[in-house]
Amino acid sequence: MNIKVPAVTGMERAKERHAKSLAGANFGDVLVAGGGISGIQASLDLANAGFKVYLVEKGPAIGGHMAQLDKTFPTNDCSM
Amino acid sequence: MCTGRVDLAHVLRAFSKGSDGVFIGGCRLNECNYITHGNYHALNKVLLFKKIMAHLGLNPERLKIEFMSSGEGNLFAEVVDHFIKQVKELGPLGQGEGIDENGLKLKLKAFTKLIPYIRLVESERLRVHFTTIEEYQAFYSSEELERLFRELIAGKLAISQIVLLLREKPLSTGEMSAILGLTPSEISRHLSSSARQGLVRYDESGKRFVLA
Amino acid sequence: MEYCPVKYPDQFNQAISKNKAIHIYYSQAIPLITYIDESCLYLKEKKCRICEAVCKNNAIDFNQTAEKVEIKAGAIVLAPGFEPFDPRLREDYGYGKFANVVTSMDYERLLCATGPYEGEVLRSSDLKHPHKIAWIQCVGSRQVTPGGSSYCSAVCCTYTQKQVILTKDHDAAAECAVFHNDIRSYGKDFERFYQRAESLPGVRFIRSYVSVVRENPETKSVTIRYATTADGVKEEEFDMVVLSVGLNPPADFKDLADKFKIELNGHGFCQTDPVNPVETSRPGIFISGAFQGPVDIPESVFSASGAGSRCGELLTARRGDLARERVYPPERDASGEEPRIGVFVCHCGANIGRIVNVPEAVEYCKTLPNVVHAQEQLFSCATNCAGEITDMIKEKGLNRVIVAACSPRTLEALFRDTLREAGLNQYYYEMANIREHCSWVHPKEKEEATRKAKDLIRMSVARSRHLEPLMEIELPVNKAALVVGGGIAGMTCALSIAGQGHEVHLVEKETELGGTARRIHDTLEGLDVQAYLRDLIKKVYRHPLIHVYTGAAISDAAGYVGNFVTVVRSEGRVFEIKHGATVIAVGADIYTPAEYLYGEDERVMTHLDLEERIAKGDAKVTNAASVVMIQCVGCRNEDRNYCSRICCSESIKNALKLKAINPGTDVYILFRDIRTYGYNEDYYREAAGKEVRFIRYEPHDPPLVEAVAEGGKSILKVTATDYVLGKKLELDADIIALAAAIIPAAGARELENLFKVGLNPDGFFKEAHVKLRPVEFAAEGVYLCGIAHYPKLIKETVSQAYGAAGRVLTLLSSDTVTASGSICAVDENKCISCGACIAACKYGAIEFRETPLGRKAAVNPVLCKGDGLCNAKCPTGAIQLKHFTDDEILSQIDAALLEEESAERDQAVV
Repeated sequence: MNIKVPAVTGMERAKERHAKSLAGANFGDVLVAGGGISGIQASLDLANAGFKVYLVEKGPAIGGHMAQLDKTFPTNDCSM
Repeated sequence: MCTGRVDLAHVLRAFSKGSDGVFIGGCRLNECNYITHGNYHALNKVLLFKKIMAHLGLNPERLKIEFMSSGEGNLFAEVVDHFIKQVKELGPLGQGEGIDENGLKLKLKAFTKLIPYIRLVESERLRVHFTTIEEYQAFYSSEELERLFRELIAGKLAISQIVLLLREKPLSTGEMSAILGLTPSEISRHLSSSARQGLVRYDESGKRFVLA
Repeated sequence: MEYCPVKYPDQFNQAISKNKAIHIYYSQAIPLITYIDESCLYLKEKKCRICEAVCKNNAIDFNQTAEKVEIKAGAIVLAPGFEPFDPRLREDYGYGKFANVVTSMDYERLLCATGPYEGEVLRSSDLKHPHKIAWIQCVGSRQVTPGGSSYCSAVCCTYTQKQVILTKDHDAAAECAVFHNDIRSYGKDFERFYQRAESLPGVRFIRSYVSVVRENPETKSVTIRYATTADGVKEEEFDMVVLSVGLNPPADFKDLADKFKIELNGHGFCQTDPVNPVETSRPGIFISGAFQGPVDIPESVFSASGAGSRCGELLTARRGDLARERVYPPERDASGEEPRIGVFVCHCGANIGRIVNVPEAVEYCKTLPNVVHAQEQLFSCATNCAGEITDMIKEKGLNRVIVAACSPRTLEALFRDTLREAGLNQYYYEMANIREHCSWVHPKEKEEATRKAKDLIRMSVARSRHLEPLMEIELPVNKAALVVGGGIAGMTCALSIAGQGHEVHLVEKETELGGTARRIHDTLEGLDVQAYLRDLIKKVYRHPLIHVYTGAAISDAAGYVGNFVTVVRSEGRVFEIKHGATVIAVGADIYTPAEYLYGEDERVMTHLDLEERIAKGDAKVTNAASVVMIQCVGCRNEDRNYCSRICCSESIKNALKLKAINPGTDVYILFRDIRTYGYNEDYYREAAGKEVRFIRYEPHDPPLVEAVAEGGKSILKVTATDYVLGKKLELDADIIALAAAIIPAAGARELENLFKVGLNPDGFFKEAHVKLRPVEFAAEGVYLCGIAHYPKLIKETVSQAYGAAGRVLTLLSSDTVTASGSICAVDENKCISCGACIAACKYGAIEFRETPLGRKAAVNPVLCKGDGLCNAKCPTGAIQLKHFTDDEILSQIDAALLEEESAERDQAVV
């Protein structure tokens, strides 16, 4: 996602420095616990809206129960 | 890309390159993803195409349009399976209608040449705004459409075929009548029209018509 | 994985099949890498370690220990999901005892091509196909016995119908029986789906409680005993029995509640704000999805967007601070080069590879002109394979890339991105669908399928030669939003958007805000709706960023995503509003019944009328001796083939209110199915417990309402057939309340044209995708929420309104929006100025322009939506839809019907 940064002011420079110092650290905007369909959607929306998201999932892959479904109603689309 | 993008030229290309049947699938009428309702336009084109096919002696059942939603995979499978069966029963294009290979080539070529003109006719004279398949079908079986067809398309199709024939060799009215399956008086009428347009002329010495 | 000696039950496949200790979770897992679980010999007994020795990349490290990472975050979204009910908790279903009793989740895995038997539905007892299958509904739900849950799990009726339909796909001769007590097809398109399942041959929906009686010792088939009013008690044997299990809270719900210090409700799900299903008891912690309680996928999805919006409101001050820019390598200009095509043929695990001979297809590719590279891949979408494509582009100087795999609808965006990563214009990418269009539909014809795959690839190769590089335009985004409709949905959405720093113009056609909620006084949970509404309206008027227009009408709407201009007339003034996003929240209307003496007798009213009169304390209603409610009035019929979703709950709410005021009132509810889904089931039970009488009627035998003169008075009589007693009942009614259908808003069709959005066959607004994009339209920049989308409860409306706001923010938080490069362009040399294209384009994207060659048509790239209708109208082929030009399409047709192929051709599908 492209964030266009307009002309940089002093205040913004300070913000940037602060952000950079935190960016490496485990500092995020939102923690989403659970990587099923709703966790994934929330993460994508938040990220597209400009937030740093940590998505945490207990299983070895994301997808939750929806990944176990063959097709979903009422369109019978493949759940993948 | 919408079903409305499907062009007469595409369908004709498929038939010309050896296809025995062509299927067009579009969104359900009134459910077009675009506000242009392109599926209605596609329906209009298909009905026109079928009329021309029938006029040329080709079975119009070889072209099919069906409307369904993208979630109705089972319906799609059903429809296509049925269509394939139908087309198989009709036999290869041309052969199934008792037309020989050259005759078929001629007809399809004449049709192809006329496509730009037909597009103009369709958008200027056949602009209709029905909302159901039944209304479209009723229009295409109506007297009004028949008249428009005769006036605007039938003649041009015949002339297109005549010109293609004469490109090969000079022919008499009788010979053209036999090849194209039209009566000698119809052929004469078209020849007069073509002569007026400066496309053909009568060659006194060979007693046949030739290209001008 | 080949070397691991341990085989143990695969949890993903419901323990039906076995997997190795080291394995990939499932074939399309993200991340697509192996992991070692607790069944590993080394981890248990310190033996083995074969995998470590075999791994060429030294990727296996048995010395890994659990790492603790501390993360600081501004907000938290809990999305732990649900657990299917485990029927082993109730012995009477035979699960775990009888081999051929399975849960619906087990059955789902059986149906799946990636499942334990690769898509064959087999009985575990003898690995044969079952032909006679029974589904038992409400397993673990609607039960007040220990181990069960009292609520209705909301999704099981419809997922069972889905399983029935899929079963018939697998086996056209299968006989399916669904044993139920009310079919809850309450959602959008659910009723039609129900009819679709029911109308299949050999499918029965039987209303009856059942017991699983015994297993046949030889065949292992299972006998069910049930009773119907028509036939009495019967026993029937089935090859397989599927338990439609309900949705329980996630396994670690207590732990979650403790750790995050949030409250749970009585069912173990998260306790949420009565009006907002994403709000927990703790500020800054939100939930999404099924942790609120049983919900289906669309609700999970928009509640997730809603949770996102709430987080956005909290954190809007630091939006973008931690974001990093994605940088692509510079794009090289390949336009002058000879086509150098690379083809990547994907196995998709077994999905394609099991049917199409992929190596053969790859060899075939190498024979095609201009193909300079061809290879197979196991999963082209896997990160390493996509990386391989990027590398090959650079290494071999490819300027066309074809991936022969699944549908472009799934992964075109991913692979286009892959091309960008390699510095190649993304429109040089072409996809051949050899899965949905080939291997999946011809699973039993491997040779033919392989030949067809080659045809499809050849067509793609032919097309790709004509592909051109196309530029996507970055359009600026106006940061304001227009919300059409000032009811609960519109106001909630407006507040959330404004709460994130954007101006909102809220347009309402009435003189007051509030919409349908003005007529509602409470909810089943006891919310004071009028107080809530007053508070909401106050917040809206007070918010400095929200501009309210009442008594308003929209006279014109133009523009495109990020740049709309809408003209609003309000209270004598005209406003031209510029905005980047539009939200449709215009609500719905209520059907005016033509039946049951409505309009003829003032004692017959709608359920909403009844609610209002109860709230006003109208004695005629509160002192009535007998109130009869008739459900499904005006819908679930030929005129309106859908369910209005909330009327069962509304009638039960009124019934409970009446009983609370006057326990002596006789209340009857005449119904077809009681659809109190989710937690509302508890209120159904409560009503029945308070002696509200529920009498079922069949659609072909509806109740009869007459006003009969008796003893000088006019008595309202309702006659209905009681199926339990087997005879006709006559009820005297003081009041009759009709659960009148919710119908689309009167102005819906107008908006359809104004905002270029669509309506579904029932007249409600049609979202882009019913499951995955439930709050937006196919037209970009326009969003949807509330009962304009479909009837729903207040808390569902609020959830969806936040969801729409969340999606609006993904647009408005950006400074630009990218438009597709696949748009039309005019070749001025060919244009004859006939204007056919201009007449055809309803988007107004084409106009005449003066050029050195004369007056020619010209396309406005920003307005063109890429449908291509104009192309088919142009007599000379001057206007062409880029990426779908005549050359490209015709080359595919030619390639498909190549004359060298002597085999019989049947048809081309266009």
